[in-house]
Amino acid sequence: MTHSMKPISIQIKNTTPEKVDAEFEPGGFADHSTPLVMNCWYVAGLSNEISRDIISRRLLGTDVALYRTLKGEAVAVRNRCPHRSFPLAKGRLDGDTLICGYHGMQFDPSGRCTHMPSMPITPANAAVRSFPLVEKAPLVWIWMGDADLADESLIPDTHWLGDPQWKSVSGAFHMQSDYVAMHENLLDQTHFPFLHPGAIGTPEFARSTLEVRQEGDVIIIDRELKDSPPPGVYAMPTGLTGKLVHRYSEARFASPALHTAFAKIVDPTPPPGAQAEFRFNITHVFTPETNGSIHYWWFNSRNFKLDDAASDDFLHAASAKAYLEDVDALQWILDVVKNDVQPQFDLNFAPDKPGLLMRRVLYARAAAEAGVQM
Amino acid sequence: MFKNQIAVVVAGVRRLTPHISEYLLAAADGRPLPNYEAGAHIALYFETQDGPLVRHYSLVRQRDGVDANSGTYRIAVQRENRPRGSAYIHDHFDVGTHLKISHPRSHFTLDRRDAKSLLIAGGIGITPILSMANSLANRHRTFELLYIGKHADAMAYFAEVMQLGAQRVTVHTTGTPHGTRPDLAALLAAQAPGTSVYVCGPSSLVQATQVAAEESGWAPQRVHAELFAPAGTGGEVGFSLELSQSGRTLHVGPHTSILEAMTAAGLHPLFDCARGECGLCPLQVLDADGPLTHRDRFLSDDEKASGKKLCICVSRVQGSRLVLAA
Repeated sequence: MTHSMKPISIQIKNTTPEKVDAEFEPGGFADHSTPLVMNCWYVAGLSNEISRDIISRRLLGTDVALYRTLKGEAVAVRNRCPHRSFPLAKGRLDGDTLICGYHGMQFDPSGRCTHMPSMPITPANAAVRSFPLVEKAPLVWIWMGDADLADESLIPDTHWLGDPQWKSVSGAFHMQSDYVAMHENLLDQTHFPFLHPGAIGTPEFARSTLEVRQEGDVIIIDRELKDSPPPGVYAMPTGLTGKLVHRYSEARFASPALHTAFAKIVDPTPPPGAQAEFRFNITHVFTPETNGSIHYWWFNSRNFKLDDAASDDFLHAASAKAYLEDVDALQWILDVVKNDVQPQFDLNFAPDKPGLLMRRVLYARAAAEAGVQM
Repeated sequence: MFKNQIAVVVAGVRRLTPHISEYLLAAADGRPLPNYEAGAHIALYFETQDGPLVRHYSLVRQRDGVDANSGTYRIAVQRENRPRGSAYIHDHFDVGTHLKISHPRSHFTLDRRDAKSLLIAGGIGITPILSMANSLANRHRTFELLYIGKHADAMAYFAEVMQLGAQRVTVHTTGTPHGTRPDLAALLAAQAPGTSVYVCGPSSLVQATQVAAEESGWAPQRVHAELFAPAGTGGEVGFSLELSQSGRTLHVGPHTSILEAMTAAGLHPLFDCARGECGLCPLQVLDADGPLTHRDRFLSDDEKASGKKLCICVSRVQGSRLVLAA
């Protein structure tokens, strides 16, 4: 269904835990040191990464083992045996039973211990923590926080990723940055012409009027730009290079785990019989590994030229290049922020409003989870 | 090192029924208490004029938003006809009372893969069951709750349970101890194969549910039970405990376990689960002037019959003197 969606291997590194600032003050903004929002659906991995071979991944600071049952149901348990902390992903599966590689302790997919070979009985109080998991292919969503709040209806919409009316190209990064900065990057369209010249931004777009609105914990930016040439990334697949078109875009901080960008390119004077409206849905998925590292998956989906390999290749290359530029920039920034010892209070300008609203949402949610009334 | 005990203070007391009170606990240092999953319980450690006591209570979780994440715990304590334990809590716990608790322990947990969860609560057994019902309701999952009690006024959280909705909740009142019993066999037989049952209450209710499940051909992993006052430490005789290696002699009260008495005396016997399963605490029995009451699941029948070992967390002697090699 999607192009170049290769399984990616993400190594768990022995990183020192980031310094987390547990003090909250009213009106604050989240940054890399703010405790991660735990009560939220995040993506544990792609459907095709989870199989009968157990994999492990660190998600929001906790190591998780992921596998599938014989029936194909995805399962997530803590990658740490409750007996002597052996990584369970280094054990094996026998049917749906996960067997620890150290003392052979056995767990069913709910996490309950079903057998402890060195004991005459099965201890009723022994269990490995299991995590709520919901598969909406190609994404597998996990809830790392308070499991009793894991309402599946809170999973944000990404239906176009599994819809045959859409075609996606995708990629992934494991990066040394924080999800706050990543979200801010995506809500900030003024960097496009400078960090991604010629690709996804044009100077006219950077100066176009933006409307910001907040709906609950969701931040939405609407932009409209008429009679302007399309940016490089959209020009080639639509065949509208050099033509003046209308562009309508929505960028959305959908949740701490997800940013979506919907673009609609309208050709006001289509040739007879030709398509006049082209849609691109861009999906950015972030799962913090720690406060200073994230798993990042991106998808560029379109609702036209579904079987056109040239468009696949072009969009994949152009997107991968642009997002690598973001990854590089954000890694450089976090390196400065963490290692330059002289504090700096960053300046803010009018176009930073969406990012600041988003950082306030993350801050308030982290504070609420820490039991702090704001 | 992982510290097992947390210092807390009683932050609120609410009378739920004439015999049941709810206590709101907050960390003494003001930090949020650790998160827990529905069905979890804590141990309460507190000092009485007769020595230290340990009691176990399920955590009661309200619907989301109320205190799901506020870092406090709620427990509901039913006053039993015993001089200590629950009666002590009712008589002495008030706002500002300091005590210690364990970290939350999850021995009774929802299997989140259930197509449907059938919850059965008898009396004060509603406490973990209400937490589970609230969890399921928060997550818009399918469940059914049967709440059994004498009459509405004696049933804790009756209003909260009713708020879960008439299509989900059935209340069965027995009126008198000899009142009608709910037809558990019919209830379980009517369930679809993807249903799991969670039962908490007196042992008669738990056993009746287990029997009904077995008769309906349910796989054992679909049946989850929590017994109130598990293989326990109450209603027994006190005795003198002699420890051969340390040379100490301790009194073990009728409502205290050997493990608790030794710990309170500053000794540090090995233990982990404190419920007769892990097999870490058994000590060698050197002498006893009465029959041993074995309540653990760890020792084999032969080991129990031999009378040479005793799980000090749940087992004791029906006599006046016990000598252990410790």
